[in-house]
Amino acid sequence: MIALRVAWITMRELIFERVFYLLLTFAVLALGFSLLLGQLTYAEQAKITLDFLLAAVEVSMVLFSIFMGIGLFKRELLLGSVAMVLSKPISRSSFLIGKYIGQVAIQFAVMFCMLLVTLAIQSSFHGDSSVLSVIQAVGLIFLEVLVLTAMAYFFAVNAGTITAAIVTLCLFAVGHMRESLVYHYNISISRSWIWPVIMSLIPDLEIFNMKTIASYGYTLDWIQLFWAVVYSFCCAAFFLFIACVCFANKDIAT
Amino acid sequence: MTSNEFPFDISLTDVSKTYPLGLWKKKEAVRGVSFAVPRGEVVGLLGPNGSGKSTILKMSLGFIRPTAGEILVCGHPPSERQSRAFVGYLPENPRFQKFLSAKEVLFYYGTLCRLEKSELSKRVDELLDLVGLSDARAERIAGFSKGMVQRLAMAQALLSRPRILLFDEPMSGLDPLGRLELRRLIGRIHEEMPEATIFFSSHVLSDVEQLCASVILLSKGELKNFCRIDELLGGRSEAYEVTARGLPAEHSTTWGKRIRRSPLGETWSIEGTDELLAALNDLKTMGAQVVGVFSQRASLEQKLFGKTSVQEARTPEGVLL
Ligand SMILES: Nc1ncnc2c1ncn2[C@@H]1O[C@H](COP(=O)(O)OP(=O)(O)O)[C@@H](O)[C@H]1O
Ligand SMILES: [Mg+2]
Repeated sequence: MIALRVAWITMRELIFERVFYLLLTFAVLALGFSLLLGQLTYAEQAKITLDFLLAAVEVSMVLFSIFMGIGLFKRELLLGSVAMVLSKPISRSSFLIGKYIGQVAIQFAVMFCMLLVTLAIQSSFHGDSSVLSVIQAVGLIFLEVLVLTAMAYFFAVNAGTITAAIVTLCLFAVGHMRESLVYHYNISISRSWIWPVIMSLIPDLEIFNMKTIASYGYTLDWIQLFWAVVYSFCCAAFFLFIACVCFANKDIAT
Repeated sequence: MTSNEFPFDISLTDVSKTYPLGLWKKKEAVRGVSFAVPRGEVVGLLGPNGSGKSTILKMSLGFIRPTAGEILVCGHPPSERQSRAFVGYLPENPRFQKFLSAKEVLFYYGTLCRLEKSELSKRVDELLDLVGLSDARAERIAGFSKGMVQRLAMAQALLSRPRILLFDEPMSGLDPLGRLELRRLIGRIHEEMPEATIFFSSHVLSDVEQLCASVILLSKGELKNFCRIDELLGGRSEAYEVTARGLPAEHSTTWGKRIRRSPLGETWSIEGTDELLAALNDLKTMGAQVVGVFSQRASLEQKLFGKTSVQEARTPEGVLL
């Protein structure tokens, strides 16, 4: 598989970029934070720490998806090494999908380590949080990462570096507010037809958010998880697909 | 028609390319160009900067699409993936991911060419040898000089033993020694792969002259001429410039006109080979030191670009700026 070769090189590039500093920072912060909270009661401490750690996983991974995704892609275009890659008998889609797979694989590895750190810290408390709910929460963040990275690639193909980053960040924000937007639409008087069209194009990222309930130790049932997986794969595939279509029709004039 | 029956390796028919510049402005980079490169020849694409050489090569690879006209590479349009199975490409300013070593780069590009692993490792060793990078095989690209990167990129283009080699200004940005090495390398590639078509662009006349069987001349996006180099050179006038220094203060010459005096010495313009030999003899008996003998290129350039554009720029090397 050609795409896997591209993915492998992308992974090495990310490792060369020292992405594992991210992990180090995360571990240090996590430890510091849980020590800082030492004077609170156990239950509160466990909850706040978990809240914080899960938020840290999400924020760092969202920024990773957006900036690394766009950065890696644009760098290869600007550097011009893309010209030599695409002069081989491979399709532009294999190149794009390969980059995506490589990046997402590294993100998976990083998140897996973050999960281990979180679980280790969690086990030092005797709160009522459950291991399964933490695993589920991090898993859902990974599903969100799949969608966001695909979105980042789509905008990277079609816009400049900064523009693409800003637009993806905006969509991330709106994706999490979608429910309240739908609510306001439903109670408003002037219902333009435009809104449902726009809303249907913005993925509902709130589906992947169980940080709050995880810190209380609740879990999702398997049906809900199954639909989250299906939803994430569909959204990611959709954005990747249109990214490939756009990329295939672009002039590459580096 | 299969690719083997198709008599030309690259053919362009009425190809034009207009780049959009912002919302309203446009830039016509290539206008109505038609030519066909026959199989197994070394053909130079010669023209000053901005004449559309890179644009033509990128269109042949399918990186950019022509606004009008048709391109066929071994009988396939460049938009088809298999057209690139016949091609090896050296871009104008090749750059590699810095964290890879020379060998890793070639392995990476080799697998993209779908080469078998065992065959590939043999080929990689062969090519590193050919381009003279065997000693640097395990070093990271980050420490490579421009010439080394250029040669590695050349090796990358040769991986799949392609039938067509497209080199975009392979000599640009190199020092004279690097240019010489690269010129020799292209010559060696032609010897080792005699059936391969080498199509390369350059703005340096002397490079093209020494390597190519035919030249295509571009100026401002239009095709000016497509001819064999020996046809061009056949009509070349026997005009030389001789520079010498250390002449006695009082001397007279009969074989030419002095045209300038510079820190290097005095320069004469001489017509005819017999006169040149006489001049060199004379200078020797006078105890002068001959600094340089140049063949005047003006007539060749005039032929290529017509009288008007010769004045644009000319240096002793024949560089068209
Ligand atoms: N991506 C681009 N966008 C706009 N104009 C371009 C682009 N690439 C090249 N051009 C213009 O097209 C003309 C031909 O460029 P190019 O093919 O690179 O010439 P050459 O390789 O002969 O120096 C130049 O005038 C250049 O300014
Ligand atoms: Mg060029």
